[in-house]
Amino acid sequence: MEKIDPLNVLIVEDEVLLAVELSYLIEEVGCRDVGHAMSSDEAIALASSLRPDLALVDVHLRDGPTGVDVARAIANDCGGVALFMTANVKRLPDDFAGACGVIGKPYSEHGVKMALRYLDTCLRVGHAPGLPPAGLQLAPAWADRWGLNDMPRTA
Amino acid sequence: MREEYLASLRAGEALAASHGPEDPFAAAIRATRMSMIVTDARQADHPIIFVNDAFLALTGYRRDEVIGRNCRFLQGAGTSPDEVGRLRSAIEAGEDASAELLNYRKDGSPFWNALFVSPVRDQSGAIIYFFGSQVDVTSRKSTELALVERRDDLQAAVDARTHDLQVALEQKTALLHEVDHRVKNNLQLISSLLQLQTRRTRDPAVRSTLRGMLERINAVATVHRRLFQSDDIERFDVAAFVSDLVSDAIGASGRADITVDLNLERVDIPAAKAAPLALMFSELLGNSIRHAFPDGRPGRIAIIVKREDGYFRIEIADDGVGVKTSGIRPGFGQTIVALLCEQLRATCETSDAHPGVKTVIRLPVNGKH
Repeated sequence: MEKIDPLNVLIVEDEVLLAVELSYLIEEVGCRDVGHAMSSDEAIALASSLRPDLALVDVHLRDGPTGVDVARAIANDCGGVALFMTANVKRLPDDFAGACGVIGKPYSEHGVKMALRYLDTCLRVGHAPGLPPAGLQLAPAWADRWGLNDMPRTA
Repeated sequence: MREEYLASLRAGEALAASHGPEDPFAAAIRATRMSMIVTDARQADHPIIFVNDAFLALTGYRRDEVIGRNCRFLQGAGTSPDEVGRLRSAIEAGEDASAELLNYRKDGSPFWNALFVSPVRDQSGAIIYFFGSQVDVTSRKSTELALVERRDDLQAAVDARTHDLQVALEQKTALLHEVDHRVKNNLQLISSLLQLQTRRTRDPAVRSTLRGMLERINAVATVHRRLFQSDDIERFDVAAFVSDLVSDAIGASGRADITVDLNLERVDIPAAKAAPLALMFSELLGNSIRHAFPDGRPGRIAIIVKREDGYFRIEIADDGVGVKTSGIRPGFGQTIVALLCEQLRATCETSDAHPGVKTVIRLPVNGKH
């Protein structure tokens, strides 16, 4: 079987216990945890230098509700894709600040793993393997890019 | 000016001459208490050629002060130009017209004049006179204006109150979101803590206990994820919750060989009952997943949520090895189910389903739901 590079994932989360647990989940699904930021400055610096494929971004960071700016910077300047992880899904901007979607807190271990596996496929293939798993909500622009609007709506 | 006066006077006299004292219609017009005038349509600017005594009483002018003049001398600063314009257009078009104008007496005092103007034609159809009548409607008009003012005051008071309530509602909503946000984040923290502890634990019994607690926390977390998704924060959609929890629990168990049949009616319960019901359901579902299908035995779990007379019915049935073979222990899980049943005044009956186990929860419907 062909060996493929794992997806590089950056964690942007100011709750250190959540970040440590997320790191386990990332490794368990075969991705690589490349770094961990707790503030927006750190996050943007790490995203610029490490160029992760995916960044898991909490909205409330050490320096305030700056996660949205981080996501926008990652989308515009770092060539990566952000995924929000927040308890305040309804407060996200309509365009998701360029992020590909959101996992609502509190999430389950299984929910995060399913979402990571699903996004891994989307990012590699450029097309969704099906409807997103429970717990993952895609941004409209990315759902469109990954061909979800052409799929029959079930559930 | 003098000439116009004389011309109008002559026209008036000519009109009067053809309607002598014995003419009852002319007598009625002269004597009626309603103010009436006639203007001459054949002279420039339609001067007044006749006024009755009621007109003089209403306006305070003498007869010689009004004959030969156009009626506009009654207008003043408060007269609506729009209303005058409307009246003029109707007169130029030779139509009947009515208007309510603010007019002024000789002494300068204002009155509301409900005016009616109508053309008078000769036998060839040409307009020769205009007939006008005036009614003083000042008292009705004042009442109307006072009402409008009062209504504006009331509206302003209502607007101010509405604004206050809106602000209060926005503050309350913001606070609610803040609390919701904290609850969710803390549930996430608790869940992550338990997971981290589980990862470090080697003892299978302790791991199993921690897993059980994680499942329970996860059930409560699933409730909170769902609670604020609907517009009605007082109500909780049981079917949506069941569907969320089942997909998570089966997925997390790694048991792809267990099939789940969902038969879910939309059923809402009060938000306050959501967490206990979720814990009960999670306990029963977890039991089936863990104990009904040992040694890689594949199976099926059927879940029904529906309304019954006065009850909500939640049914979980598996086609697994059954109570005796699985040796279901009267453990902490069962204690939780029994206690929560008591809290919710629900009944929970577990029976042998040949094969497998069937559990039915019946939750009484009270009040509005």
